[in-house]
Formats: sequence, C-alpha cells, structure tokens
Amino acid sequence: MHLGLDDDELVACVACGLCLPHCPTFVITGRDTESPRGRIALMRAVQNEGAPVTDDLIRSMETCVQCRGCETACPSAVPFGHLMEGTRAALAGAGRITPRWQRLALRMLRHRQLLLAGSTLLALAIRLRLVPTRRLGLPARMPLRRPPLRTSGGDVWLFTGCVMDAWQRDVHLAVQRVLEAAGVGVEPTGGAAPCCGALHIHAGLEAETKAMARRVMDGLSGDDRPILVDAAGCGASLKDYGHLLGTDEARAFSARVFDVHEWLAGRLDELKSRTPVEPLDMTVAVQDPCHLRHVQRAHQAVPAVLGPFVANVVALDDDGLCCGAGGAYSVMEPELSTAIRERKTAAVARSGATVVASANPGCSLHLAAAGLDVRHPLELVDQALSASRR
Amino acid sequence: MADFDEALTAFAAEVGTDGPVCVRGGRTRWSLGGEASPGTREVQAPEGIVAFEPAEMTVRVRAGTPVAALHEELAADGQRTALPERAGGTVGGALMAGESSIARLGLGPVRDALLQARYVCADGRIASAGAGTVKNVSGFDLCRLLVGSLGTLGLVGEVLLRTFPVGEAERWVRLAGTDPGAVRSCYTAASVLWDGTDVLILLSGYAVDVDDDLSRLAALGNCEDVDGPPELPPHRWVCTPAEAAAFDARNGAAGPFVAEIGVGVVHASQPQPPRPVEPGVVELNRRFKERFDPPGRLNPGRDPLRKP
Amino acid sequence: MARTLAAATRRVLGSRRRGDRSAAVPATDDTDAALVADLVEAIGADRVRADAAARYLASRDASIYKEGNAGPVCYPGSTADVVACVEVAARHGRAVSPRGAGTGLAGGAAPLGQPVVLSMTRMDRLLEIDLDNGVAWVQPGMVNLDLSRALAPHGVHYAPDPSSQAACTIGGNVANNSGGPHCLAYGVTSAHVLAVEVVMSDASVVTLGDLTAEPPGYDLRGAFVGSEGMCGIATAVAVRLTRNPPAVRTMLLSFDDVSDAAATVSAIIAAGIVPAAIEMMDQRCVTAVEDFAQAGYPRDAAAVLLVEVDGPAGGVAIAGERVADIARRNQAISARTAADDDERARLWKGRKSAFGAVANVMPDYYLHDTVVPRTRLVEVLERIYEIVDRHDLIVLNVFHAGDGNLHPILAYDSRVPGTGERVQAAGREIIEMSLDMGGALTGEHGIGVEKREYMDRMFSAVDLDQQSRLRASFDPHCRMNPGKVLPSAHSCSDIGALRASDAAGVWG
Repeated sequence: MHLGLDDDELVACVACGLCLPHCPTFVITGRDTESPRGRIALMRAVQNEGAPVTDDLIRSMETCVQCRGCETACPSAVPFGHLMEGTRAALAGAGRITPRWQRLALRMLRHRQLLLAGSTLLALAIRLRLVPTRRLGLPARMPLRRPPLRTSGGDVWLFTGCVMDAWQRDVHLAVQRVLEAAGVGVEPTGGAAPCCGALHIHAGLEAETKAMARRVMDGLSGDDRPILVDAAGCGASLKDYGHLLGTDEARAFSARVFDVHEWLAGRLDELKSRTPVEPLDMTVAVQDPCHLRHVQRAHQAVPAVLGPFVANVVALDDDGLCCGAGGAYSVMEPELSTAIRERKTAAVARSGATVVASANPGCSLHLAAAGLDVRHPLELVDQALSASRR
Repeated sequence: MADFDEALTAFAAEVGTDGPVCVRGGRTRWSLGGEASPGTREVQAPEGIVAFEPAEMTVRVRAGTPVAALHEELAADGQRTALPERAGGTVGGALMAGESSIARLGLGPVRDALLQARYVCADGRIASAGAGTVKNVSGFDLCRLLVGSLGTLGLVGEVLLRTFPVGEAERWVRLAGTDPGAVRSCYTAASVLWDGTDVLILLSGYAVDVDDDLSRLAALGNCEDVDGPPELPPHRWVCTPAEAAAFDARNGAAGPFVAEIGVGVVHASQPQPPRPVEPGVVELNRRFKERFDPPGRLNPGRDPLRKP
Repeated sequence: MARTLAAATRRVLGSRRRGDRSAAVPATDDTDAALVADLVEAIGADRVRADAAARYLASRDASIYKEGNAGPVCYPGSTADVVACVEVAARHGRAVSPRGAGTGLAGGAAPLGQPVVLSMTRMDRLLEIDLDNGVAWVQPGMVNLDLSRALAPHGVHYAPDPSSQAACTIGGNVANNSGGPHCLAYGVTSAHVLAVEVVMSDASVVTLGDLTAEPPGYDLRGAFVGSEGMCGIATAVAVRLTRNPPAVRTMLLSFDDVSDAAATVSAIIAAGIVPAAIEMMDQRCVTAVEDFAQAGYPRDAAAVLLVEVDGPAGGVAIAGERVADIARRNQAISARTAADDDERARLWKGRKSAFGAVANVMPDYYLHDTVVPRTRLVEVLERIYEIVDRHDLIVLNVFHAGDGNLHPILAYDSRVPGTGERVQAAGREIIEMSLDMGGALTGEHGIGVEKREYMDRMFSAVDLDQQSRLRASFDPHCRMNPGKVLPSAHSCSDIGALRASDAAGVWG
C-alpha cells in the first residue's frame, strides 16, 4: 500500500532515538511499536518495502496522540505530524481506521446550531445523571445556557470554534474582557467560522478537513485583521492551513493567526498601564499544551502573560510531555490516555501548585476529569483584572 | 597487531609451554591468595621502560620494572601512574595483586590504569589485550580481567599504562580528633586516612585549591603538616566505604587500624576473616581458570578468591 | 485456563487483518507458536509481542545494519521475568538478545537468527540511593539522563554521558561500556559500575562485583561491562555516584583551520591539563547542529572546540586561562565562555544532537568510532578529509578530541545508486588508517555486527582466542546475543545456535 507520504520527509529520520523520551506512548509502554521512530520505520516498511498493513501496524498508528513532542526533540526536524496525518489519511481512505460512527460524530462539529443544541441536551443529561461523565471524559458540569457572544470592535477576530464555544463559552468571554482591557475591539467569529478541522485531520479525514478550512477562510476573508485563538489545538490547525491547502491564499491566512497569549505577550505594557493590578495570591502551574509548545512553539508566552497577574507561576519539570488528552484521543484510547495523564498529575503534584493553567480546552477537560483545578490562563488574568477593578 | 619486542619474546620462551610456572616480582605480596605449589618454576618478567609519551599521557613498560623506578622516570615530566609504590614492588606485581594506591581517591583504582597488556598464555603464546590508545572498547575487556588475577590466567610481560599529572601542590596534613565525614567538603583530597581518632589527609591539585581546602580544614580543628602517610598495620581488610568509616565499631580482633575513608580498605593488625562469596561467583571463577589455563600451570596454588 | 492461554497466545502472535482469523501468522512457524505460548504462560500476555510489526522494530537499532531478525519480543518487569524468559528460550533451543533503547550504532542490539528479544525498557526504576557508599542501584532500562536527574537533589551525578543520554539506558551503557564527552576526565562506564546482577545463560542469577574496594576473585564485573549482551543479561546495576564539581567553565573556541583546532587539543593534553571534556566539530557539523539547537555556534568557523574544565573554582580559573592561552597561540579566532548554565546547556545540547542532526545534510549516515593517539590528530584529520574527497563523499567530523576518539560521519543518500559501495570503501580506509596510526577499532560504540569483521585487523588469532574464552566462561552455551563482536571464526558455537536466518527484512 502506498501511503502517499513525501519520500524526502520519510527518509529524514536517522533512527537516533532522541524522540523516545518525548513520546508519551513510548514512555508508558516502552515498546518500539508505540514510538515515533518505530512508527516511521513501519511507515517506510509499508510504503517502500511493500509490507502488509496488519492490525498491529494500525494499532501502532492509532495509539499515537499526535502531540508532536517528537518534532521539537528531533535534531533532523523530521515533520512527524505530516507523516502521521498522511498515514492516517491513507488508512482512513482505505477504510482501515476511523469507523463510521466516529465520522458521523465529527461531521456534527461543522453544524454549529446542531452542536449547540446537542450540547444543551448533553448538559441536561449530565444534570440528570444520565451520563457517566468520568468514564467518558466529559466535564462533570456543563452550561445549560450560554451568554451570547457580542462584538465590541473591529481590531481582531476571536476564533470561537466548535466544542469549546458550546462547552466553555465562559472562557471566550473572559478572553474577550482581557483583550478589551488592553483597549482592543473584538469580534467573535461565531457562525462565520464554525470549526477548524483539527479533530478531522487527526482522524485521517483529509478531504473533509480541506473543505472545512476553505469554509473558515471564506468566513474570515475580506480584511487582514489578526485572528486570535484561545485554544492551542485550533490555533495550530489554523496555522497549518498554508501547508494543508498549499495555496498562497491559505499561507496568507495562516500568517494572520496568533495564539492569544502570543499576541498579548507583546502588548503587556498596555494592559498593565490601563489597569493597575494586584496579582492573585496563588501558585499556578503552567501546563504547556502540545499544540502550543511543540507545534506553534509559542508556549513561553503563557507564563509571560500570567506573570504580572499571578503571584507564583511555576513550570512543570516534565519537559512538556503530553497530558494524554489529544483531542478525541482520550475517548478513543482511554487506557493509554489515563496512564499518560497520571504522569502529568504527578508533575503537577511535584510543583506544589493548587491551580493548573491550560491554554487548550481538550487538555483542560482531560486534566479536570482527574480532579485538578484547571483554568484557562486568561480566565486567571480576567479574575485579577476584575478583582482590581472592584 | 604488533611485532613483539625481543624481551617479551624471550620471556615467552622462558615460560615455555610446559610445567607449572610462576613469576617473581619484588615479592612484596608474594603470599597473596596462597603460596605457589611446591615444584613450581620461578621466572622473572623483563624490565625497562619501552616508551614514555608524556603528551599522550601513557607509558609502555615491561612488567618486571620496579614501580619506583618507573615513577622516578615519569616524575621528570611531572607525571605518575595509579600503581602503588612498595619497596621493591614491580609493575607486573602491582597489577596482578590488584591493590590500589593509598591515594586512590585522587588517582583512581589500579583496575582503571591498564590500557594494554601483552602476556604469555598457558600454551606459551603471546596475546595482546586492550589497545594502544587511552580509550577502547574493541572486544571483551581482558585487561580488567587480568588486573588482580595473581597471574593465574596469563603472565604479563609488557603493559601500557595511563599516566596522570602530579598535583601542582601536594601536602599531607593531620587533623586531630575529627570525624572523617567532616572532610568530605575537601575536593582536592587524594587520600583520607583515619585511625579512629585522627584524620590524615593528602591534598593534591592546583596550589590555590589546596590552600582553599587547607583553610577549610583549619576551620574544623587543629590542622598540622605531616611528612607523609603513617606506618600502616600489616594486614589489609577490604570492605565497603561505609564499613570503613564505621570500622571501630567492630574492630575487637583487629587492634590498631588505619582506614582508607571513601575507599573501603582498612589496614589492621590482624588478618581479615574470609569474606563470604556466593556460589555462582565461585563457579564462574573456576570456569575462567579452567578456560584460560586448562593444564593449571600458571601460578598453581594461588587463587584470587583467597585474597582478603 | 488452557483456552484463555491459547487465546492470549493467538492475540500475541498477531493477525494479518482485523477479523481475518484464518490469516497465517507472518514469518513465524509452529515452533514459534509453542515458544510464544510458553513465554506468555511464563510472564503474561501483556509482556510478550510476537506480531510482525513488533518483531520488525525489535530487529534494528540506530545503526545502518538492517539484517537483524527478531523472534518473539518480551518486556520483562523483573529479574524473575528475565529468568523465566531465559529458561523458556533455552528449553526451545533459542538464543536470547537483550535490548535497551536501541540507540546503539554498531548493530549490537540487532538480533541474529530469530532469538527471543528481551526489551528491558519496563525495568526502568531507580532501586536505591546509598550515599554512604556513593552508589545507586538501578534497573537496566533506566534512561541515563533520568538517573542523573533523579540524583541531582543529592548533589551527585552519574558521570558517563553518551550523546544519546536522553534516550539510552544504563543496561545498554553497560553492554557497550559507553563513553561520552565527560569520560575524558571521569572514565568510561566500566570505571563507574561497581556491581551487576546478571541472569546467566543457564538462567541462574549471579551478582558480579560488590560495593567493596576490591571484590573477591577475578574482576568479573570488569569482564562483563562492554560484553555487548553476550555474557548474560544485567537486571540490576550498582553505579558509582560522582560529586558535582563546585565550579564549571565551558569554553567555545573557534578556528579558521581544522588543523589549528586539532593542534590545540594535542597541546592542551601535552600541557598536563585534564579538562572534563574536549569536543571538536567541523564546519559542516556545526551548521547541521546549529539549525536545530540554536546554541550560538559560529557557522563561519572551520572548526570549533568545546572545552570544559571543572573542579574547585581556583583551579578552574587557572585551567580556563591556560586553555584559552593555548588556543590563542594556535590561531583561535575567538574564545567564548558560557555565561550561565542555560548557555552551557544549549552548547551541550547542540553537541549531543550531532548524529541525529545529520539528516539536515543527507538522509543516511555511516559512522566510525576509531581512536587514534591524540598527539596525531592533525595528521589523522587531514587523512580523513583526503579519503572522503577521493571517494566523492561528504563527511561531518564531530568527536571526543581529548581522547582521540573520532566520529567521522559519512553522510549520504542511499537512494543514489553506487553510494553504499563508496561509503563502505571509504569507511574501510578510515579504519585501516586509524589502526596503522596505532589506534583502536572502537572507542565507545562497540563492535556489534558492523565492525565484527574488522576485529582480526586489530587482533591476532591468539588475542581473539583469548577473548572468546572470556565469553565462553560466562556463556558456555553461546546462547546470549550470539553472533556479535567476534569474527565468525572465533565465535565458538554461535553459528550453531543461530537458526537458519531467513533473509526477509519485511514481513509478509
């Protein structure tokens, strides 16, 4: 089977093994089949040597969290994410991964009104204890009502996305308040850009992702306003449209995308000068979402932004190892996902922090399900700002 | 592969292919691990320095050379080896006994000193182990196997040793009535000896660092210069560093002692009782001897397991 | 019970397609099915993998050797598991090959003849820190860097620091007698291993060495370290703890000419200075590394030296000055001292990622690890560049200059026809040149399978016979990682222990 992978990208791995300690699944299982180096060797065996695609090989690919921690560890800059996305696309195309129910569920994310309504129903079901939240990795409490999104100006777009808007709109509103405190007029994207397609490309649904990317680009075209993103996974996905679609238009679009912390880090003085603040008296551990640290490589902006607003910001000592959330990974691979999370909760415990700041909704849900007090970094900033105002 | 030096070839010829044979060095540790069986022919290893390469920090020397003579030659270039100096002791003898210098903390153990060995096998042929460089992992480590083997696996004729620069400043000092653990903060200590009451320390290194350590020691108590190490009691006990540091607690039979702190050797008045050895290790020792010396002709009567 | 076991074994053996139960198990036969059933019974189904993908990956390490052929792969969790696997393998007349992280560069972990592969990665715990004796007991699967990190709160570290230390395991280090930059002053693995618990080829468990100054009998742990898995399987290792130096100075010296850099190295050693490390990289290597590490290595220098001196502050200052002075006298164009721990860490990260960064230049590399007298570095480097030019190849030089341990990386693209032959020919010339200079075949990577047939270029038949006696004393059955290190004529009955090796590199 030809996986359709770029030959130059595929040969770039020299098998040195420096990725191994940065791979969450290898760290748990100790098996080469669950390592980046091993997965690349298997891709090569299939594409170049004609090895058959066995169930075990598919398991090797399915167990990858796609955190891309191996990419920042790779001295030869092997684009593992692209290789894995390509492999999954080929496997999904051949009907070997991503079963029908999963495709249906992912399709729903494109339909904003349906998703919002479905989420309200789910929230109701959770209140009535009809859904085993812990087992499914769902939040213990979801909003029944969502305060409306509102436009406060035209300086920037705030990308609101799909699940996050339905489940965590409070975070968007907090982010918007912080931006406004810095004197920035915000327009939430809402229905203009329903879903970035991150989960779809992870599942190997390449054609669908491309269609969704075009939809988002269309919705946000017409000006060159910066597009700020408060979910690391979505930000990484939007920044990759240039590569995904390979057009000048897409590359120009991706260049407009910023993680909100990345964007704010350069405007901290403005924020501080407008609103003098008393830092929150707490110890906050910064959890680096993989798609912020390894993909966008913008994770250092989070502690920089938090610094003036929280008394004690601490880093974790685990080299940014993935928390195991991985978008839909925690649902698809609950056992591995939980084992990976245990390392993260241990790192949080070592740090002595009482609150964890996470810039990605997937990570935040996953970690909260383990009993941690997780907030979006800008929720903490918002809290500090509003406390000072009072 | 090398053409062997004539002295080495002559030594091999003298060892021959037949009959029990042992090598006489300076006889300083002659009874270590047992006496040679009666009727064992005595031979002597050749003597002399073959090549000293100060810039390479190695010296090629014949096994019969006295360590003191070797060190005298090396001292001209400010170097020495890790081998212990005993009156009349030879290079080969020191390696085969495997006992480290009293300055082991600074120089490292004898087992790390040997880079290459040319030795006569039980069948009379000359084998070469290790390499002529300071670093080598080509094949199995016969050099470490030979060190401390009492000449029971092969008879060493010529060796390449690592050399070290002698410290710019070297001083022995005595610290009266101190706990040896207190000396841990001294980075330049090449030897820390303790007799249950006083601590004797050899400081070695850059003068500025030695002075630093001296002032650190002076802060601990009454610190005075001494000429060198004390007279050591005749018997050598081997133990763990922790056991050496706690030696007086169990020394009823041992009498006065001098413990090498941080190393695990105690010089005592009475011999050490035999150390327990696990059966698997005994069996492996037997297999090594059997494979390397099938006729049992090399230093018969001696057994490294019987060394204290 | 029997049915559960049979089902578990089927699962472990793997199947070709989801739902396709009739599919033949690839490249395994009835003997393997019985072997796998026994292994599953002995250590549990979740610790055994016999499917094609697992075996394919267990057949290779970080070397270019791709002919390995693994049997079932086991992931033992304890010494008892290892004993059980060795027993089962022996009962089935199969060899056993241990494996750490597979970062070896000589094919030492590439299994020959479908042995049972024991992947030690699950035995990765730090068992005990004994500060009174300056020792830590660790399991073999523990990653080298994890060990030093765990020791950091105690002000001590584990000194051998191979470039792959972020990934490689202590067990692998013991097997290869691994080195690393700081082995110049501190010595290689063998100087830092006090005792090893080993499962022997007859499945007995023996502890070689102990924590005393001089363990009784022959130095068996000395003989075991560096034996490349051929003498038994280490299941616990007592390593020596090294005190962290009070002061460290890391200097980056750059040169317009490779020869000046090499001459500086020889001059530092000749001056009686023993730095903690002296590393050299040439321009091509610096460029490849700098793309990744962004450590501030000068891309325009022909060669750089990374020199580190450590110890008490006073001596460090003096040695640092002397080194800088020697460099200036040898035409160094700049000498920079790392300002803080962060800069120092970045410089070392750059140096230690050199092999992995090669694909920034070419997708494949072949690497030698010879050692030459450090007084002859200038001459040796000139010869290497000459050999490589003549074969129309690219070389990146990065190496432990202080102890003369070369790592010429021949970078190439195996997709270009005929390149492989030129690489082999140039490699052979580099080895022969190194040996002619009075050098050694390998300084830290080991012989494995890649350098096996060069052994008789360095050793005589008598020498090799002695080495094979060492191996046979440990493993008279020739059952542990057979076929490595010794050239075929000297490897006792290894060849008998190897099953007829099926050449297929890919399952199917």
